[in-house]
Amino acid sequence: MSDVVIQATNLSVDVQSKQILKNISFQVLKGEVLALLGGNGAGKSTTIKTFLGLMKPTSGDVSLVGVSVPTNPDVVRKQVAYLPESVMLYGHLTAIENIRYFLSLSGKQKSDEDIAVSLKRVALQSSSWHQPLSGYSKGMRQKTAIALALLRDAPILFLDEPTSGLDPVAIDEFNRLINQLASQGATILMVTHDVYGACHVANRIGLLRDGELVGMFDAPAEGNIDSEVVHKAFSQGSEA
Amino acid sequence: MSNTVLTVARDEWRYWQRSRLAQSVVILAFLLAIASVWVTHTSVSHSIDQRQHQQAESEAVFEAQPDRHPHRMVHYGHYLFRSPPPLGSLDPGIDAFTGNAIFLEGHRQNGATFADRKQASGLTWLAKLTPAFVMQVLTPLLMIVIGFGVMTREREAGTLEFLKVQGVSPFVMLAGKGIALAGAGMLILLPLFLGVCLTLLDGAAVVPALAFLASYVIYMAVWIGIVLLVSTLASSNSSSFGSLVVVWIALCLIVPRIASNTAGVLVHSPGKLETDFAVLKQLREMGDGHNANDPAFKALKDNLLAKYKVDSVEALPINFRGIVAQQSEADLTKVLNDFAEQQMTQQADQAAIARQFGWLSPMIAIQNASMKLAGTDLENYHRFLREAENVRFDFVQSLNKLHAEGMTLEQDANKYKSQAAKKAATVSADNWQILNDFHFTPLPPTQRFANSLLAMTQLVISLAVVFGVIFYAGRRV
Repeated sequence: MSDVVIQATNLSVDVQSKQILKNISFQVLKGEVLALLGGNGAGKSTTIKTFLGLMKPTSGDVSLVGVSVPTNPDVVRKQVAYLPESVMLYGHLTAIENIRYFLSLSGKQKSDEDIAVSLKRVALQSSSWHQPLSGYSKGMRQKTAIALALLRDAPILFLDEPTSGLDPVAIDEFNRLINQLASQGATILMVTHDVYGACHVANRIGLLRDGELVGMFDAPAEGNIDSEVVHKAFSQGSEA
Repeated sequence: MSNTVLTVARDEWRYWQRSRLAQSVVILAFLLAIASVWVTHTSVSHSIDQRQHQQAESEAVFEAQPDRHPHRMVHYGHYLFRSPPPLGSLDPGIDAFTGNAIFLEGHRQNGATFADRKQASGLTWLAKLTPAFVMQVLTPLLMIVIGFGVMTREREAGTLEFLKVQGVSPFVMLAGKGIALAGAGMLILLPLFLGVCLTLLDGAAVVPALAFLASYVIYMAVWIGIVLLVSTLASSNSSSFGSLVVVWIALCLIVPRIASNTAGVLVHSPGKLETDFAVLKQLREMGDGHNANDPAFKALKDNLLAKYKVDSVEALPINFRGIVAQQSEADLTKVLNDFAEQQMTQQADQAAIARQFGWLSPMIAIQNASMKLAGTDLENYHRFLREAENVRFDFVQSLNKLHAEGMTLEQDANKYKSQAAKKAATVSADNWQILNDFHFTPLPPTQRFANSLLAMTQLVISLAVVFGVIFYAGRRV
């Protein structure tokens, strides 16, 4: 299908003889947001790392826009923006320097104005823009990383616990941003513990439990979250 | 070179600039290098002037001696001084240990004396912080301090993974980090470059000077490669630093010691006492050159009597004592030269074995390349010893010839009987003009360059191996 952007086909990943992902298959269409929910060790981050080419499938395949990631990691990475759970930016650089450095490495040219707009969109206080990241809180680092992801103009976003460390206002702002990006055609795969946040931003929700995709359903409409159902499924996954 | 590589390199420099430790180390290394070049160049330039002055003075003092018996002048002796070659101001090599002056006299081959290291007191070691020592031993250590974390820092912070996701290949990262380290290395090498320029102004030959500089650039590149490789393979900053220090200790301290010990074991070289006794034993069998009646010279006496058709040495037209002195000196010199050559061959063989360890340690390779190109290696020292011996033999035999031809046997034999007899047994001071100006010159530039090729090859191979392994390791990052 031409609209399929992110696709996992019978994906299994073993790490040191332990099966982390067990034959999972799913796809995300263009402009869609899929949230994978699951407890610790369910395989959420492994799924994202496999799509980023940081881990290799033991069997099966993962592809982005029809291009197999394991065989063409450098090709597909050019279309991807990644927001890690633990933000990996340089402490000795300021927010603006970090953004400039990473954009420069990925061959993107952005004006000072573009960067300022992006930092304002993630609500990072302008007084901190020129301070080294070593003095930032986790939330401020997260906002910087989100701003960078936005500036990359990537059509595909992978978000690993994106709202971790953000205050409620910033979370709302972030959710709005995700919806906006999706409406502009970005395809997003996020993994999270945040059930309510996922329900707010995702079109569909997948449930991962012990490396198996045990459920996939449409996210309830905003304001009409059947939290009990999601909670129940999520809790079962955690207990397993 | 791609912009991405330069961007990574620039960021590394920016990190060093903001990290006080790295910045301090780069500044310290630069200052250390520039101080060592300046101090050593000044000191060696002073030594050159001093030795040239001493050489001229020694010749003048010898030539100013009054009318004397020639054999007294044989024992009066004469000094030869070795001026360091221009590149010796950057690498004094073994000159600092072997001495730079030789006292020439009859019947003896003296060793070189006045070695800088033997004259230095314990507290003056810093004054001998030569550019070669700084570049060969200290700079690698400083490069380790600067660069041990270039890759492990990214790994520990998680940025390595993040960079890969941005589409930055590990090779781009490695190239960028390598260029950053190379920049620091070149900054530290800059004083050496200036030092080489100074030696060119001092008259150093161009080919060895450029090869000298190139060998240090390659050596620096090898260490940059080692730092990059270990930082790439290590899992953390601490393991990278620890491993690099172990590598430095092994390559700069342990392997050179193993090399010299192995050479000493494989090629036995008798000690000085053992050699002196062996020489003495042979010399005793040859007779005493001061005693014309020694039975050892009977054949010489018979031949001369037959040649001049006379029946006693008194009837010879030449002074038989002088002839004996000449013959004795020639025989003795042959024995001394045989021992000296044997010893030099052993030393050269030992050095050749030690040089092979340059395949294991780039420090041994650069040490050899540097000394050979500077003209301060063992081979050049042996050249000095041989040249000095030639001068000694010529000057002693010239005096012995005067002894044989400048007086009769009767005058010579009666010289202690009275003041008048003593005066009669002298030759004019005009005869002391037998010394040629001595200026030691190391091997020709092309020869020095050719001699350094093994060590240069070792350095280039080390570089290729290190970067080959980096390429392999880069695929696994």
